[in-house]
Amino acid sequence: MGDILGLVVKRLGLGLIILLVISVIIFFMVELLPGDIAQAVLGQGATPENLAALRKEMGLDQPALVRYLHWLAGAVTLDFGNSIVTGASVAETIGERFANTLFLAAYAAAIAVPISIVLGVLVALLRNSIFDRVANVATLTSISSPEFFLGYILILYLAVKTGMFPAIASLSNDMSFGDLLYRTFLPALTLVLVVTAHMMRMTRAAIINLLASPYIEMARLKGAPPWKVIVKHALPNAWAPIINVVALNLAYLITGVVLVEVVFVYPGIGQALVDAVSKRDFPVVQACCLIFAATFILLNLAADVGSILTNPRLRHPK
Amino acid sequence: MSLFVIAYYTLLLGASCLAAYFNKRSAFLLLFSLTLVSFVLGIIGGVSALRIVAILAGLLALSAMVSYAFREFLIAIASRNLAKELRTAPLTAAFGMFVIFTVAVAGIFAPLIAPHGEAEVITSAFAPADANMLLGADQLGRDIFSRLVYGARNTVALALAGTVMAFLLGALAGLMAATSGGWFDQFLARTSDVIMSIPSLIFALLMLSIFGGDLANDTTSFWLLSAFTGITGLLLVSAIAERSLMAWVIGLAVLVGVAAMFGGFMLTIFNPSEIILILVVAVIYSPRVFRLTRAVAGNVVVMDYIEAAKLRGERKWYLIRREILPNSTAPLIAEFGLEFCFVFLLIAGLSFLGLGIQPPTADWGSMVRENATLISFGDITPLIPAAAIALLTVAVNFVVDWMLYRSSGLKV
Repeated sequence: MGDILGLVVKRLGLGLIILLVISVIIFFMVELLPGDIAQAVLGQGATPENLAALRKEMGLDQPALVRYLHWLAGAVTLDFGNSIVTGASVAETIGERFANTLFLAAYAAAIAVPISIVLGVLVALLRNSIFDRVANVATLTSISSPEFFLGYILILYLAVKTGMFPAIASLSNDMSFGDLLYRTFLPALTLVLVVTAHMMRMTRAAIINLLASPYIEMARLKGAPPWKVIVKHALPNAWAPIINVVALNLAYLITGVVLVEVVFVYPGIGQALVDAVSKRDFPVVQACCLIFAATFILLNLAADVGSILTNPRLRHPK
Repeated sequence: MSLFVIAYYTLLLGASCLAAYFNKRSAFLLLFSLTLVSFVLGIIGGVSALRIVAILAGLLALSAMVSYAFREFLIAIASRNLAKELRTAPLTAAFGMFVIFTVAVAGIFAPLIAPHGEAEVITSAFAPADANMLLGADQLGRDIFSRLVYGARNTVALALAGTVMAFLLGALAGLMAATSGGWFDQFLARTSDVIMSIPSLIFALLMLSIFGGDLANDTTSFWLLSAFTGITGLLLVSAIAERSLMAWVIGLAVLVGVAAMFGGFMLTIFNPSEIILILVVAVIYSPRVFRLTRAVAGNVVVMDYIEAAKLRGERKWYLIRREILPNSTAPLIAEFGLEFCFVFLLIAGLSFLGLGIQPPTADWGSMVRENATLISFGDITPLIPAAAIALLTVAVNFVVDWMLYRSSGLKV
């Protein structure tokens, strides 16, 4: 087990370093602005007194490195400073929204993961049949469509024309869980459509890759029934690629959520980011980007660690 | 039971019986499973659901016929070698080529095809379609059809420019990394790792928030663009010149001139905020191209004929141009198509968010956003530009799929 632990720790360390580098990029990119944030906020017509006052308030009179360390220390304790536009604490504004986004992503994942794995395995078993080809075209189409296209189609047919689901996913605190699921069904479904296609294709590729390996052929040749070949021989080795596929697509979900949130006016962190970008509210942009990047890296790490842990060769070292 | 339902089932069952009789197994399976699905659909959704299925099947048959005819047309006009290749193209790839061809024609001849100007207000807001306007008017009273045609030009040109720049930088860096190895390779690989570990849409939003406002002016975009071209060119110069000082001097002089001219040239085509967008896209996607090129070229570099060429004393540039590139064209072309899809979707998404191509320039992504309110009245107008985006991306993907299948590697 020592080997595995070492590998996992190494991966975690690598992820941490990448996250640190990204935090540097996110912070110092804003420094590229001519003048500084204060100038950008107040615009060209700002008086020197106003600028100096704002600089002092935002701590801009200190050197960049000090401010970076200060910002990083704040970020670690989930304190991202105050918004330029509203003056409210960034952590408070996006905290609840981040929870909403996570809920939406988890909702979509809970539907998409089982469906796509089952379908992916089925399509892999039926490869080169007419169903495989139809599934190939269908998933390719779904991947190629922008999220807002799928979202608006669902709104048009499931919300406007038939009135089965609400078109706008407005949330309130006193909603029951069932009501919550009902109200967020359409955005979740949009995400499911996109992610399922990705996952299906990746699962199919992984399984086909596996079925081509010699020990599967051996199992078939010795006369094992097909289900036994799949369950006993293929599946234990398929976990690693499948976990990889799931984690990678969850990472994709986290970013795909931005467009979907805007389409359905869902109060999530993606919409907060888009608003902040158009208002040039840098503390919020930085915080959102850092959160998104951290989640993305975390899920990629989970993929790596998962495939290490499920690798039979590593689990039973010689 | 209306006449339509009777005709529907008769046709489906008749066709599946015929397919079974003539031993067309896959066609029979498809038709008969469609019949079974129709039973369920008909019970749940009623006649209207069956009608939708029939319309979809009709559309599918129509596009199949168009793509078949288009493939035959291409075979007829192509040279013999090319025709042989084209014969192997599945219908989906032919369909993809047809769509790409149509969009290209629409984009190139936009002013001739579009009945009205790009930003010309001709009637009241959201006016319905009539003989003058095929698809009605948008929120300012501009003709949607004309804007769609112009959008083919603007959106695709932008995405293409972004893809080409990302591709040039990524491919050159990948080739150099594969041939040089050492710290240069390591440095580029780690840099691309970092860039790729930020989700692309998020990174784009971050960069646009910084370069979006006052910075999107002529001077800044010119310098940024020239700098980007300069970095790409520097890779090229270093590959060609290697250790000859004279070649370096000449190369750098030429490079400065070319970069400046290219910057000026691009500024006459695109406005500053669009150039920023192109650069953002190029920065985000070049690491992906780099990764692939490095992997593909890395496989070629270890071949014996490269070793032989090295022993002959060939230069690095010769190796890249005459040995590595010809042996890695197919995956690189396929990668170009895939990158184009990603770039196109990213730009469309950004425009949809109101952060990409700025009005009044016609663009498919922002057209969806501008007309989105119509959706709540059950009008499909906003779906048309969105469908155009999806259609073009699907088309490119179909063609890429065929190329990947042909060029080995992915023959699963």
